[in-house]
Parts: sequence; C-alpha cells; structure tokens
Amino acid sequence: MLPIEAASILKANKRKRGTQMVTIIDRTLTTFDTTGMTGRDLKHFCDLLFTCGVTKIELTPDLVDRMSFPGNAAGLKQWLRGQSFFLTQILPDLLASDIPGMKEPKPLWKLEPNELVDKNIPVSKLTPRHHQKIRITGLDDLMTQDYLKIFKALLDSGVDTLDLCPGNQQHCATAIALEWLLAGGQSISCGFTDHHNFPPLEEVLMGLKLSQPDLFTGDLSVLSELRNLYEKLAGQPVGKMKAIIGTDIFKVESGIHVDGVLKNPHTYEPFNPQAVGNQREIVLGKHSGRQSLLYKLNKPELSESAAHTILNHIKSRCTQLGRNLSDRELRTLASEVQNDKQTEIYC
Amino acid sequence: MTNRQKYIVDTTLRDGEQSPGMAFSVREKVTIAKSLDALGVSRIEAGTPAMGREECRAFEKIKLACQKAQIIGWNRMNLSDISQSIGCGADIIHVCVPASDLLIREKLRSTRSQVLETLSTCAAAIHAEKRELTIGLEDASRADWDFLVLLIETAQDLGATTLRFSDTVGIMSPSLCKATISRFPDSIDIEVHMHNDLGMAVANSIQGLRSGAKYADSTLFGIGERAGNCNLEHLLIATQGQLDFGISLDELQWRQADLKAIIYKNKLAYA
Repeated sequence: MLPIEAASILKANKRKRGTQMVTIIDRTLTTFDTTGMTGRDLKHFCDLLFTCGVTKIELTPDLVDRMSFPGNAAGLKQWLRGQSFFLTQILPDLLASDIPGMKEPKPLWKLEPNELVDKNIPVSKLTPRHHQKIRITGLDDLMTQDYLKIFKALLDSGVDTLDLCPGNQQHCATAIALEWLLAGGQSISCGFTDHHNFPPLEEVLMGLKLSQPDLFTGDLSVLSELRNLYEKLAGQPVGKMKAIIGTDIFKVESGIHVDGVLKNPHTYEPFNPQAVGNQREIVLGKHSGRQSLLYKLNKPELSESAAHTILNHIKSRCTQLGRNLSDRELRTLASEVQNDKQTEIYC
Repeated sequence: MTNRQKYIVDTTLRDGEQSPGMAFSVREKVTIAKSLDALGVSRIEAGTPAMGREECRAFEKIKLACQKAQIIGWNRMNLSDISQSIGCGADIIHVCVPASDLLIREKLRSTRSQVLETLSTCAAAIHAEKRELTIGLEDASRADWDFLVLLIETAQDLGATTLRFSDTVGIMSPSLCKATISRFPDSIDIEVHMHNDLGMAVANSIQGLRSGAKYADSTLFGIGERAGNCNLEHLLIATQGQLDFGISLDELQWRQADLKAIIYKNKLAYA
C-alpha cells in the first residue's frame, strides 16, 4: 500500500498516457564489436530483444547487411549510405488472416532509417520546431535537480518526436528513464547490461512492468537467455549480482531471509525469479541458520547438537574460503560430523 | 531547499555481509571498520551480535578501534538479540520492525498490535541500559500508510532518535520516495535504506535525502542482499557539489581499492 499522494501520482500519470504505448529503443548492438557476429546469432539476439518488450533495435549498416533482407542488394546498399537503422516488428495481430484454420503468422521485421538527431544541449536551447525527431543525451545529473520541471520543459518544447537517452555516469540513468516515461515521455533509448553509458534495458523493462503492468507486453523470462547470448557475443561477463539479470541475485543465505522466503517467497523477493528466467536457491554460508541446514540436508531428524556443530564448521569454512559451500561439500561435512558423533575414538 | 549536510550509515559489515558468499573474519571486520571510521562515515552498522560469540568479539574490537563513528548493533525485535547487542557495547541499538502486513503475517505470524506491543517492550529494555534506540521500518515501501503513521508515532513516543525507512525489496522509484519521505515528520531524524533490485538505489537515496532524510545507508561496492544496497562510491559521485557527507570521494576510492581483496576473497564472486 502506498501513501495517498504516491498512489495519486501513479493514477495521474496513467491518465496522462492513456493507452498509448511507449517506444523502447535498444542500442546494445552499437556498444560492442559485432564484426564476428553470425547472421544467425544476430537474428537470435534481435528476436530475444523483441520478445522482452523492445520496440526498435538500433543497427549499424554492417549489421543490416548481415540480416540478409530480401530484395535488391545494390538498392539496399545505396539506401543505407552509412546511417544507422531501426529494426522493428509488424506484429501478428496486424497480419492476421480471416482464413479459418490458418496458423497465426510470425512477426515480420522491417527496417526504418534512424532519423533521430542526437542532441546533448541545455533544455533551454531546444528551439520548438515541428517535424523534428530528436534524441536528448546527457542529463546524467538530473536526479539532483528539479527533473520534473526539466521534463515538462522538454515535453512542452514542441518537438515532434522526443527520445531520451540519459547518460549513466552518475548511476541514475534507469531512474531518469522511468521518471521520464512516468512524466509523459513517449520514447526511451537503452542498452542491455551496464557495460556502456545508456540506461540498462533490463532495469527499465522491469521497472515498466512493475509500475505499469497494463501497458507492458514483454516477456522478461527470456532475459537469462539474452544474458547468456550477450556474454558470448560481447565477450564480457555480466556481474553475478547485477540487478535483474545477475545469476546469483536470487541466492538466499541469511537465516532471516531464508525463513521468510520458505514461508512465502514474496516476503523477500521484488518479483518471482522465474519472471526473469532465474530460480531461487537456498545457499549455506556464515549467516545460515538451522532451518537452512535442515532444508538443504532434507533431514528433519537431525539433532540440535549435530546441527549446531555442522553450522559452526560451515561458518568457519565459508569465512576462510570467502564463498558458499556447495551441496556436495555440505553433504561431506555433515557425514563427517555425524560419523564423529557416532564413533568413539580411544587414545 | 533541504539542508546540504547529510550523513552516511555504512552497513557493509551487516547487510553487505549478508550477500551470499560474503564472510569476514574478526580481523577483516576490524580492518574494514577502521577504514570506514577514518573515512568519516558517521555510523557503522557493525553486525548482528545475536549471531554469536565471534560476532560479539568483532564488535568489541571494532568499538576499541574506531575513534569517531558510532557503532550500531542490528537486532530483530526480541529481547535476546537486544541483550547481546547491549552486552557487546554497541553505541546504538537498532531494532528492525516488520512494517508491512506481508512480513507481519507471513514471516512473523503475528499481528500489528503485537508488533507495537513487542516494540514497546524492546524499547524499555534499551532505555533501561541507557542506550540510544533507532528503529527500522522493514519493508516500509510495501507497508500500509496508516500503519506506518502508527509506527512513526510509536517510535517517537518510545524515544527513538532515528527512524530507518527500508525499501527492503528495492521496488521504490524516485517520485514515490519523494512523495513518501516528505510526509515524515521533522521531529525525528530519518534514515533511508534502499536496495538495488531495480537499479535505483542511488537515485532513490538521493530523492530521500532531498526530501528531508538526514542519513543514507550504503555499502562498499554496493554489496548486499540480491542486487545489493546503495553503493557508497556511486552515491558520492552522483551528489558531488550538491550534498555534503563529509567524505572525500578520492579517499573512498583508494580505501575501497585497498579493501577489495578482503571483501572479494573469491575473485569469481564479481565480474
């Protein structure tokens, strides 16, 4: 439940937006060397981006070449002429046929030129000109300013198409992006992960999904697959604790959180791990309690003293190693302790 | 215009260490604490004494080693935990109070009335030992506002000096932070504790501070449960020239670099 004013802020913004969808532009493929990328991997990457809710994918001419669009190759090359493009989808419901028994068609992809003009200038210098398509960059420091006033000035500037691509030098790009959309902005540009200076796409998508579930149509369960493919293509690992897509963010160790999560996962999870293609895992470490141990060993009959001894060993080993114990290490430790308790050693 | 002078509560040794796989020895905890104290961190949440003797030993050594920072002992809302913290010599006894109905019913299997009653009992025990009481509103971002108001009033009546607003599962947005924190009364110091599940811990902390909070919780490298807590370095970068925490960014960066090997013993733990 939210404070009354907070709930009314959300309602007011929903009324402002109506049912018009926002445009999410992904710029990931402009952030790393794609020279060696196969057409197959490229199509797979784009497919996953569209599935998770991206509206347009920014492509360089070189990547467009690799998409193998049918048609006149010479004509296409002339049309490309060094500028970047957006790949978009024509969705099945727009292609639907009235022929009974006909399967729902897959989405079609189409290219449109990127006509956005990048501008990193003070808002006051944005002269009102219709038919302009502008991408505002920079604005990294908006969180320490009256950002709503700045957004209002941008929205009142009279520019036809206004896309925001805030910089992330101050680690606030996701917040700026989401607040922009909440204030009535129609278009945002992002990039997958935090290996560049754009708002992290996965954070913006999840933020939209949670704050405006009626408007969000993406399937974020493909994010794990997207992360794995990105790591292969970009050659850069994603941080294990990275928000939304880190492999280890749903590992639970501390006794209080394990207790809560076993009773009701919603207690200590912002969203279901499966919603992002991940899963919850109870792990053992310095902060584990008896409940975690019984859960992992699946031995409810384990005595209090044996559990206490095993936990002490776990704490000591994990402090030394600086990591959690694996399931095998736990089983080995548990069997050693129980064996010690059963065997009397005579000296 | 909010007051520019703000303060940091560092919870690397408590919430940060709860990050799966993180485990500091007593010596390592003292090293980290000394560095934070020298840096100018106002309060250091040094751990949870209820965890046992080793944790208490760490507390005692940290108390001796730190010159300026106040040392906080984190506690669940029970007398046994609090007794341990008092025994370890913590300057501040922090009591974590489940504020959302979800936590009260599902985790505690309790009621709102029982929570208020238990809180009063805990406060009495702390005051009897003449320690400073701070109260944390766990999962406050998902709590019913009417109950939050009751908790705020109770905290004030019980003599708590600081009220911690915890976005325990990291779902707040800057505009919600602003709308919420600005409704808290001026008569008690407010501390914001933001998790990074949606990548907005820094932005939310900034909005909380601009809306009247005096303290922001943070950790070194942003470590903590799930996607972590507010990253201290990132917070300083984002507020340079706007808010003054009494901490040099340059000094933080070299101290943090020195501590990296202690915090990330297993290099595979971070990318």
